[in-house]
Amino acid sequence: MPGSREARLAAVRGRIAALEAGTRTPSAVLPFGDARVDDCLPGRGLSLGRWHELTGTGMEVETGAATAGFAALLALPLAASGAVVWILRRDDLYAPGLETLGFPARRLIQVRVRDETAALMALEDALGSAGVAAVMAEVEDIDLTAGRRLQLACEKHGATGFVIGRRPFGGTARKAATGSAAATRWRVSACASDPPAGEPGLGPPRWTAALERCRGGRPGEWTFEQRQEADHGSHPLAVAAGLGGDGVAAERLRLRA
Amino acid sequence: MALRAALRVAGMSGKNAPLALLVTDRGTRRLHALDAAARALGLYPGQKAADAAALVPELVTADADPDGDAGALVALGDWCVRFSPAVAIDAPDGLFLDITGVSHLWDGEAVMLDDLLARLAANDIPARGAVADTAGAAWALARYGSASPFPLEGGRAGDGGGGCSGTKALAVREQSPTTAQADPSPPPSLTLPPSRGKGTIVGQTCANGIVALPGRQAELLAPLPIAALRLDEAATAQLPRLGLTRIERLLGLPRAQLTLRFGALLVRRLDQALGQAEEALIYRRPPSPWFDRLAFAEPISQLDDLVRVAGDIAARLCARLQAEGRGGRRFELTFHRLDGRAFPVRVGLSAPGRDARPLTRLFAPKLEAIDPGFGIDAVTLTAEGVEPISAAQGRLDNSRAAMAEEGLAALIDRLSNRLGEDQVWRAEAFESHVPERAVRAATAMAPPAAAGWNPDRPRPVRLFAHPEAITAVAELPDAPPATFTWRGRRHRVRLAEGPERIAEEWWRKPIDDVRTGFVRDYYRVEDEAGGRYWIFRAGLYGDPEVAVRWWLHGVFA
Repeated sequence: MPGSREARLAAVRGRIAALEAGTRTPSAVLPFGDARVDDCLPGRGLSLGRWHELTGTGMEVETGAATAGFAALLALPLAASGAVVWILRRDDLYAPGLETLGFPARRLIQVRVRDETAALMALEDALGSAGVAAVMAEVEDIDLTAGRRLQLACEKHGATGFVIGRRPFGGTARKAATGSAAATRWRVSACASDPPAGEPGLGPPRWTAALERCRGGRPGEWTFEQRQEADHGSHPLAVAAGLGGDGVAAERLRLRA
Repeated sequence: MALRAALRVAGMSGKNAPLALLVTDRGTRRLHALDAAARALGLYPGQKAADAAALVPELVTADADPDGDAGALVALGDWCVRFSPAVAIDAPDGLFLDITGVSHLWDGEAVMLDDLLARLAANDIPARGAVADTAGAAWALARYGSASPFPLEGGRAGDGGGGCSGTKALAVREQSPTTAQADPSPPPSLTLPPSRGKGTIVGQTCANGIVALPGRQAELLAPLPIAALRLDEAATAQLPRLGLTRIERLLGLPRAQLTLRFGALLVRRLDQALGQAEEALIYRRPPSPWFDRLAFAEPISQLDDLVRVAGDIAARLCARLQAEGRGGRRFELTFHRLDGRAFPVRVGLSAPGRDARPLTRLFAPKLEAIDPGFGIDAVTLTAEGVEPISAAQGRLDNSRAAMAEEGLAALIDRLSNRLGEDQVWRAEAFESHVPERAVRAATAMAPPAAAGWNPDRPRPVRLFAHPEAITAVAELPDAPPATFTWRGRRHRVRLAEGPERIAEEWWRKPIDDVRTGFVRDYYRVEDEAGGRYWIFRAGLYGDPEVAVRWWLHGVFA
């Protein structure tokens, strides 16, 4: 009977869809609260329960300071809902510095690992644990297989991963991985700050962040500034006034992509 | 170990050649220990080596190694943990084992003692043992008990076989080469207090041991020589001269006079042996009631089997912890190999726990490192840091917070057991203005301390353990640098903040080493590319004692 055949087909399609979705729940997002950024991201926000890749430029690949600060602010809204684990290969993360950015470093669990393998193992373990909201890991490179494993671990309890690309001091650059299972890939560099007129010293920290890859979204490039007014609920990163827009740079990236 | 070395010497020199170990005592070589063959020829410890060699030309000699013997005794003590977790070393040749509440695992004290002695014998360690209510009684019975086939010099062996009594501590003593028998190996003595006995027989003897029934050790001790009381040399020599050759003769004497004449030690030893005074033994590890043991009919060696028995024994101990509402923080699983070596495996928990399955999962990866050799025939598990924990409550709302906390504790346990305990931590504020000392590692599960860092002092995200030297050019002595060169790259400073002066903690140094010039002036600078750095100038311009140098200490986000 054609009717039952269609019904069966529909049932099979439903089962396949369920299999493909796996344990994945409809992805929650963390919006930046700025249409210029959110429009480029699938679901209008940074997907939670996925993992994101952040890399630096130049010397930053070794020091990893701007990327660490940027990642800390990306994860800051998540710190309220669970523990944040930071996996390091070098013990140079300075907790008072994170507190300076407003990140609750005293509640951060730091894990020091000896090598890349141990870092990936700890990252996967932490992502798959209940009670963990976000995991930062400083690793050199993640290949496709490892990336998929991380994704599966993320889906267990909805933890979000932030992988900070960092090379050991004096290390030589490795060939970039061909593919990546990351939800987004950001290239972050420090950007000259803009102190308020008439005040001496440095302004609030700024970063130039290029969204290089984004599954289901568009690439873009923005200059973010740490939001100074501590108004509850808004994202700690704001597109810097007067410099925003994914105009020319994003256009260029889109052509390249 | 001296014994083994000596045995090897003996083995090389021929079959049953008499063997003696020598020590140098005030320039004279003397016999320190003898084997049975040498003793049978009439040699005795303390004899001059030259005399002995003249009497017995075929005597094989080797140097005694007291340090090696002590080390071997400690190793033997660790091995004895398979019988009881509480093992005390009684140098030079004895061991005490507290076997209270343990002997039922062997179906009784006598069986346990037999097993212990048989295992020692199988390892070529001649030993004697005794079980008694007190360590002192067990010590005496092990060395001077009537079952001893080796009368010792300095005292006569006690009389009559069958009548040993008193059961609370078992002492086993290896025969010492210095005192008694013919062995190149140092004898240890062990003391294990077993469960209460009953019945009319005062005691029983076995091959090389005595088991005294509870409360009857006085009858057993009475006929033993004075030396069985562990007295100092002077008293041991003096008492027999007064006709006080046996313990029973002391019992009737007025204690005040005994104390006056021979010191408090004599009466104390007497009381300790009879159970009227407490004796504190120093155990190799504190006695723990949280101990369990599994022995196997056939030795095991497969990794799968090791994991399974780890699970089995963890389940047993955890069931007991559960029943008493307690949890342990540290667990030590020890695999006892056939050849007597023990392989301990330890795991620690961030919160007291008593869940066998996660515990087994923590043990499992560490079992690969165990070398089973010819097989493992026993496994023991000890829980430490045992404290009461509230019963796991089946929450009605199955609250997410509780689940999160449990998940996090389990993660921390996994990571710290795999990577090392100090590799997982939480940063905690420490009262110091020196940047590298302002952070202290706290345990990952500890509640965060209330005090934080001063929010008005901006600090970098990355702080180098060792500041890196830079060359900087400042326009004025107290101005931030205009340019600096770090790692071969020149940075032109666009914006700067500072200085923030941080002086050394002079109170942590000898006063003579303190200089006013040891200060750091920290500047927060931003270069033209936007990189933000924390640099400091060490020393003051115009101070002849300390040269001014620039350093880069950290990088801001």
